[in-house]
Order: sequence, then C-alpha cells, then structure tokens
Amino acid sequence: MSCIEGKNLSKSYGSTKAVDNIALSVKSGQVFGFLGPNGAGKSTTIKLLTTLISPSEGSLTILGIDAVKHPLAVRHKIGVVLQQPSYEPTLTVEKSLEKYGMMWNVPKNECKKRMEILLQDFDLADIRKKRNEDLSIGQRRRVQVAREFMHDMELLFLDEPTVGLDPSARRKLLDFLKNKVKTGLTIFYTTHNLSEAEYLCDEIAIIDKGRILTVDSPDALKKRFGKEKTIKIHLLEKQPIVVSLLSRIPECVVDLDNGTTITIHSEQSELVLLQVLKILSENKIELEDLSAVPTNLEEIFLKVVRDNASHN
Amino acid sequence: MHPIIRLVNRNLTISINPGFLIWQVIFPLIYIFVAGFAYTSLIQQVPFGSKSLDYPSFLASGMIGFNIMNSTLVSGIIIWNDRRHGMFEQIMSGPFTRAHYILSNIATIGIVGLVSASLIALVGYPVFFESVEFSFITVPVIVFAAITGSVLFGSIASIISTRLRSSEGFNVIINTVFLFFAFVSTAFYPAEGAPEPLRTLFYLNPLTYLVDIIRAGIFGNITEFVIVEMMVLASLASVLFVVATKLLTRLDF
Ligand SMILES: Nc1ncnc2c1ncn2[C@@H]1O[C@H](COP(=O)(O)OP(=O)(O)O)[C@@H](O)[C@H]1O
Ligand SMILES: [Mg+2]
Repeated sequence: MSCIEGKNLSKSYGSTKAVDNIALSVKSGQVFGFLGPNGAGKSTTIKLLTTLISPSEGSLTILGIDAVKHPLAVRHKIGVVLQQPSYEPTLTVEKSLEKYGMMWNVPKNECKKRMEILLQDFDLADIRKKRNEDLSIGQRRRVQVAREFMHDMELLFLDEPTVGLDPSARRKLLDFLKNKVKTGLTIFYTTHNLSEAEYLCDEIAIIDKGRILTVDSPDALKKRFGKEKTIKIHLLEKQPIVVSLLSRIPECVVDLDNGTTITIHSEQSELVLLQVLKILSENKIELEDLSAVPTNLEEIFLKVVRDNASHN
Repeated sequence: MHPIIRLVNRNLTISINPGFLIWQVIFPLIYIFVAGFAYTSLIQQVPFGSKSLDYPSFLASGMIGFNIMNSTLVSGIIIWNDRRHGMFEQIMSGPFTRAHYILSNIATIGIVGLVSASLIALVGYPVFFESVEFSFITVPVIVFAAITGSVLFGSIASIISTRLRSSEGFNVIINTVFLFFAFVSTAFYPAEGAPEPLRTLFYLNPLTYLVDIIRAGIFGNITEFVIVEMMVLASLASVLFVVATKLLTRLDF
C-alpha cells in the first residue's frame, strides 16, 4: 500500500518556488529518505506533507486521506519531528514526555509506562529531572524525538533529526528507528547526510532547488552511477590554466577545488587518466599526488545536484 | 478528553510556577495591606457615588481588576513562548486546529483571571466588607467583568505576541503597555480628584472601565454610566478578540 501520494505538488513563497511540481509515492513499512543540500526544499516538503502549510498547487493523499481537504484527520495518524527545536523551557524532561502523551490523549498509566521505556531508549534517564532550558542542544533534540514516540502513529516525519547528536547517539537513534520500522512504522526522513541515508533508507529521493532529481534505492543509485570514478590530482603549485587545458578532454567533469587540487569525475576513467597525464607532461606541470577511486554515494549526490545546476 | 481541555491542561502546567504565583497573588496582597494602610493617613475617604469608601477598600477592589489584567499576560506569554520555542508549530502538526489553540488560550486566561480575582476578593474581603453591598447582581457583574476583562487584555497580549519577533521587544512593550494601563487608571486612585488631561486619559484606558464595573458590583452602585461602561468594555473586547484571532490564524510557519 502507498502511504504518501503527491502529484504536481508546488509551494511558492512570493517568487521563490520552494517546492516545484514534485511527485511522491512512498510505500508503507519503509524508510523513505529525502536528501538534498540546504535550501533544497526538504523542510517545505515536510510541512506540506504534515499539513502545516497547504500546497499552492497539486494533490496530496496521506494514508488514504485527502490531506488538503481533511488535514486534521491526517494529523491524528502521523508523528512529526520538525527541523526547528521545540520544547517547553520550564518543564523537566519527564514532565514534557508525560504532558506530550496527555496532549495526544494517551491514558495516564500508559504515558508513565512509555515514558520509562523512552527514557531508557534515548539515554535520558540521568537527566529526567532536568528542565528543558538547561539541556544541551543534543539532549534537547533527543527529548524532542523521544517525545514523538509517546503516541501511536502510522507514519512518522523526521526533519534532520540527527543534527546536533554525537556519533554514538546518532547511531543509536538510527537503530531505534530501524526497529520501529520492523514493527510496521513508515518513516519519511530528510537529511543532507548520505551515509545516514545509506544506512537507514530503503529508498532515496534526491532533491535540489525544489525539484526531485532522482528516486531509487541506495544500491541502485550506486549501480547507476557506480561506473563513475573520481580522479584526484594534487599539483605542486598553483596552475589556474590547468582547468581550461583539461576541460578539452571529452566524457568528464573537471573541478579545480583550490588552486592545487583538481577533481575529475568520469565513467571512462582509464582513458581520461591517460589523457590527463599527457596534457600535464606536455605543459610541464608537476604532480604531487594522483588517485582514482570509485565514486561513493556522497559524490553521486554532489554529481546529481551539480548536473541539475548546470542544466539550468 | 476534548482537545481544548488537553491544551488548557498543558497551558496551566507550563504557566503556573512559583514566580507567577508571587507576581499574581503575593504582590497584590502586599500592595493592599501595605500601601492600602500606609496611605490611609493621607487619604481618609474616597468619594464613591452616594457614599464614601476608606482607601484600603477602594484599593482592594481596584486590585481585583488589576489582577485580572495581569493574569492575561499569561496568554501573551504562552503564545510568545510557543512561537519562540517551536511549540506552536509542533502543536499545529498534532491533533489540534488553530481554533482549538485559540480557544484553549482564552479558557486558560479565563480560569487564571477568575481564580486570581476570587483570591483577591476573598483575601481583600476583610478590608472592604464594611462597605460591601451584596445584591443578586454582585456575583454576575464580577464574573462578567472578569471574563470580559480577560478576553480584552488577553487579546491585547496576544496581538503584541503575534506581531513581534525579538524577545526584548516583547518584554519592553508588554511591560510598558501594562504599566500604562495600571497607573493611568482608577485602580489606585479615583478619577474625580484627578486633574485634566489625566482624567480624560483615565477613560481612554479599558482597565478604568473594568475596575469601575467591579467596584460598582461590590459596593452596589450600578448607575447608567456603569452600564455604558459595561457596553464599551464588551464591544472593545469583541473587536480585539476578532483581531487577535485573525492575526493568530494568519501566523505562518
Ligand atoms: N516561510 C518562508 N518564507 C519564504 N521563503 C521560505 C520560507 N520557507 C522556506 N523558504 C525558502 O524556500 C526554500 C527551501 O527551504 P527549505 O524547505 O527550508 O529547505 P531545506 O529544508 O531543504 O534546507 C529556501 O530558499 C527558503 O529560503
Ligand atoms: Mg530544512
């Protein structure tokens, strides 16, 4: 069954198209990753899907409900952790969990039970009596995510939930989410961190400038773009002319990162490499170091976004 | 439980703390007992309609209105904090509508306002009991004043909190506005003795109307003028409530 069905969704703020005519189809029981650089339109998409804002155009069905016509019915069935922190400054950690459960109409005993479990799962037991305003950013973020599990839901939206968490808390959260998915939860997960998406997501959509560039599983993405290799060349000294020399080589994209480092992406890396060496020696440009590595997901992401930018 | 009741529960949990209780209960009591009696040597009698009141009774009855006004700050602060700490968006993405949110705030102010007013009335009672003239309309008049006053000042606090962005601005403006309301009103001194243009200024201030109505209810002096004041207070409260609701509905994310 499909959990989220969006067609021709757009949201404009004045002349900015924050979300530009996207189509979305998310299957139940999976983690759907929404990946994009800052300002790509991830948070705006989440606000659309969670009915916080209504689309300028398009149709949206969440869990079989028309989200534009019946937003409240949708909100009853979903959980939302927005990118922005949200907390009651003067409440203690345990009180904020309990009150949040109360707001969702969870019976008092059940609230207490869930709270104890979540305090353990999110490593909050030591700080349960601390007030939210006295917590660190990472602790507050953990409370915010934990709090959402006080109530039942079919679909959970998480907007960059791991920002501010240390690596071990990050890993714990991802594993916690994986377990929840096994029990039938569907998660819509935005991030700009690829390794996270690769670890957690069953499907990944890459978004930039309000448009979805591609949707696929992490493995398929690697297969599709995996033939490509990244060649890195370090020069001994700055040679600004080198880019224009190298850009004559067909079938590759050349970047001069900072005066002395050149990155080349190509699917024909062997051929390109030979030509690079030839051009460099013809022009008496000395190398310090050279390497060719298979492109990782991070690079694929950058490539997809970059290609999109150069098309415009 | 109804969503509005759940939100009121939350509102009361986050707003009732020791600081608030001191501000809301202890401060007015100290004021009534210390200032009320300290000024008695200067102000023996305050003319009030056909009778005259001693200053402590006059002040204690004024403090009820003052307290209702102060209690509505709660609502402004809740809205302000909810916006600043992301709870407004969080609540709006949960099982609530904007109408639930707005009504729960009104209910919260109403409760806090009524409880504060009753507390001051109860504790102030020994101070003004000699002059009290209970009638069948005393309690309804006070309840009317408490609710209308809460809606009115609550709307003002809400309007301010939806319009502002920086927190310094919020505190400075809220304090200035409420200080003006408090001291340029008949809560602490009668309009009769005040020189022009202060007297006119008194009647440009909704707290004056609120306090006049409460005093009229307690001391049994509902004149035609007081009835006009009730109508003015109710109309102003309705207009401000509509404006506050509109602004809250338009707040975007
Ligand atoms: N409320 C708003 N008003 C005006 N512009 C906005 C608003 N929200 C987002 N935008 C713009 O929309 C674009 C997408 O923003 P956002 O969805 O927050 O991106 P992301 O979450 O991917 O970083 C940005 O250019 C941002 O400036
Ligand atoms: Mg974002």
